[in-house]
Amino acid sequence: MVVVLSKKSPSAAEKDLNSIRKDRDLSFFDLVSVDQVSIEDLALLYEVARRFRDYKTYKFSFNKGSSQVNAFFEPSTRTSSSFDLAAKQLSMDTAGVAGNSSVSKGESYLDTIETIDAYNVKTIVIRSKESGVPEMLARHTQAAIINAGDGWHEHPTQALLDVLTMLDHFSSRGGSASGGQTKNLDGKVVMIVGDITHSRVFGSLVRLLRQLKAQIRTASPLTLIPTEVERFGVKHYTDVNEALIGADVVYALRVQSERGANGYIPSLREYSKMFGISRKRLDLAKKNAILMHPGPVIRDIDVHSALAAVDPQSQILQQVENGMAVRKALLWLMCDRIDGKTKEFKRK
Amino acid sequence: MSTLLIKGGRVVDPKNGIDAVRDVFVKDGKVAAVAEHITEKTDKTVDAKGLVVTPGLIDIHVHFREPGREDKETLESGSQAALAGGITSVVTMPNTNPVADNQSVIEFILKRAQELDLIHIYPSGSITKGEKGTMLSEINELKNSGAIAITDDGSDVQNEGVLKRAMEYAKTIGILLMSHCETKDLTEEGAMHEGWISTKLGLPGIPASSEDLAVYKNILLAEETGARVHLQHNSTAGAIREIRAARARGAKNITAEVSVQHFALTDEECLGYNTNAKMYPPLRSQEHIDAVIRGIQDDTVDCFTTDHAPHIESDKIKPFQDAAFGFVGLETSFAVIHTYLVKKNLVELTKGIEKMTVAPARIIGVDRGHLSVGADADIAIFDTEKEWVVDEKKFFSKGKNSPFIGKKLIGKALYTIVDGKVKYDNGAIVTK
Repeated sequence: MVVVLSKKSPSAAEKDLNSIRKDRDLSFFDLVSVDQVSIEDLALLYEVARRFRDYKTYKFSFNKGSSQVNAFFEPSTRTSSSFDLAAKQLSMDTAGVAGNSSVSKGESYLDTIETIDAYNVKTIVIRSKESGVPEMLARHTQAAIINAGDGWHEHPTQALLDVLTMLDHFSSRGGSASGGQTKNLDGKVVMIVGDITHSRVFGSLVRLLRQLKAQIRTASPLTLIPTEVERFGVKHYTDVNEALIGADVVYALRVQSERGANGYIPSLREYSKMFGISRKRLDLAKKNAILMHPGPVIRDIDVHSALAAVDPQSQILQQVENGMAVRKALLWLMCDRIDGKTKEFKRK
Repeated sequence: MSTLLIKGGRVVDPKNGIDAVRDVFVKDGKVAAVAEHITEKTDKTVDAKGLVVTPGLIDIHVHFREPGREDKETLESGSQAALAGGITSVVTMPNTNPVADNQSVIEFILKRAQELDLIHIYPSGSITKGEKGTMLSEINELKNSGAIAITDDGSDVQNEGVLKRAMEYAKTIGILLMSHCETKDLTEEGAMHEGWISTKLGLPGIPASSEDLAVYKNILLAEETGARVHLQHNSTAGAIREIRAARARGAKNITAEVSVQHFALTDEECLGYNTNAKMYPPLRSQEHIDAVIRGIQDDTVDCFTTDHAPHIESDKIKPFQDAAFGFVGLETSFAVIHTYLVKKNLVELTKGIEKMTVAPARIIGVDRGHLSVGADADIAIFDTEKEWVVDEKKFFSKGKNSPFIGKKLIGKALYTIVDGKVKYDNGAIVTK
């Protein structure tokens, strides 16, 4: 027997969001790489995310009846909690599987995820320590797979929230000639410093920044930069001071000790002296340049304490707020498709 | 007394300089005549008109997993896969369980091969006990029990002192030492070729230098010791360059192979985290492929192999970094050579056949790979025009993983004959 659930009449807030959405859908079913996100997708996501941001923690009923499993096979603080809160603020039911899951008992990722998929959940948010796991699993589930960070590969929602932060910053400063929202980062210099090789944040950010025509610079010791990185369209600097000159955005990545990155530099002390973002260094960038960091910040190593959260140039807490809004927009648009289309998949 | 006549095929027998339409007459398991219009009455006649008749192919680098991992492959399933590819002789690698570091494993393989009576199996033994790279195996015992060569394929001897003594000892006994050529300190956790594709996929890379350095080390020690050293599965421009330089210096004791995937496919096969494309050495980038092909053309590369390495499905349905290295190649190797080298006019068919017959036979020191009168009648017959799409469900091998799955290849074995007996006939293994 099929039970038809009648929708409660939408609230004013929901009507407002619907009027922003204008019956548009995303072009993708899963989000495993930012390469899947078209310019139209980006516009839709950001228009909706900005409005969600205005409503703060308001509980929408958009995704009522849909469930989400957050499968974080590697530790996470802000990503897992914001995905969970975002789902709940859309009235979804959520469950989490984590470090003590069956995967740690030797069950394969595929068997674990197919089990979860059989609960008929709408979305499965996955973080894995190996690259490519979300992409592999997405081929075998009816649920939409959202990559919340895979190995050294990508962390798409991080790049989406970072770019929203950048666009908003440049718009608020009258960056757009038309007076509306800035649509791309043409001419903006984004300088990314830190452990590039082991950074999935970099993997997504560089792809998205390139699509938005930003000028991308990287700075790190040569031990922390992957082979042929210039093919992403970046210019690499071994001297961070040089890389900072003329930068509009200073993006610091953590030196990720848990990935054995410590073997790539003699000491955090030496790294901090050579590449850490201090007040003096930040002053080399453009006058109104912003400082960003995906977190967790290793204070006084990646970024000096005085700059981390409190400096007016720091956007680190703005990034966190935008993270909630972007994830909410994504979950609504992925779970509640106007066109009713479903993804193609095959069980293993 | 049994006789067989193969009529009207294009006989390609590089050792004897034959590339012409000929009949091949086989009597009592031996080649009795290769000539035009043989009219002898025979028990069986194979019409080979429009087909290519070659000596049975020889693959000196395969993993048959028995003893120990019969779920992945057995001597029987591996032999059947070989027959389906026109291959009549193989050298099995010693990384079985237990490792072939003692005569009982060698004797087991030889006994089983005899019972099966499908192809000629030449087992190799390990250089070091358990392939651990520290203590030498009892190499003389291995040789006496029938090991054709020694190798630590799959792990390699990392310690140069141990490798040098192994070469000196191998020379003492007069056995071929084959080297896998990998520097583990440079490979680290690498899962694929280090380059743009590994950067895009966020996967740890295996730099070309991991292989280059090991090849160079092996060449230096081979030159110093004078041992017979064969370099396995070369895949880099650096490896080819160093082998070529050693030959130019006059080194005659060093031979080299290329596994056929390493001139056919690039690291782009790994896109989408395709674990079927995960192997060691990894699929390399185009510049390495170009260098390998030049090495084949100027004979820096002596022979072709498959490095046939079957795995069960659950070893491959894994995150790329955790998936097993290796794939099955016996049933596609001739077609790969024909499609990617001969059809592209990069290498002549005769040279391709030479590197799959007489050249590998010479390297391991066996009198095979030719159709001289009196030779064992190991013969393969190919339809070199046959186009087919690789379908893993049709593999005889227990391994179902190949980066060639779904690709269109040109050329297929129709008949495979071992010691004068047709063992493979148009897609089916012939059982007694």
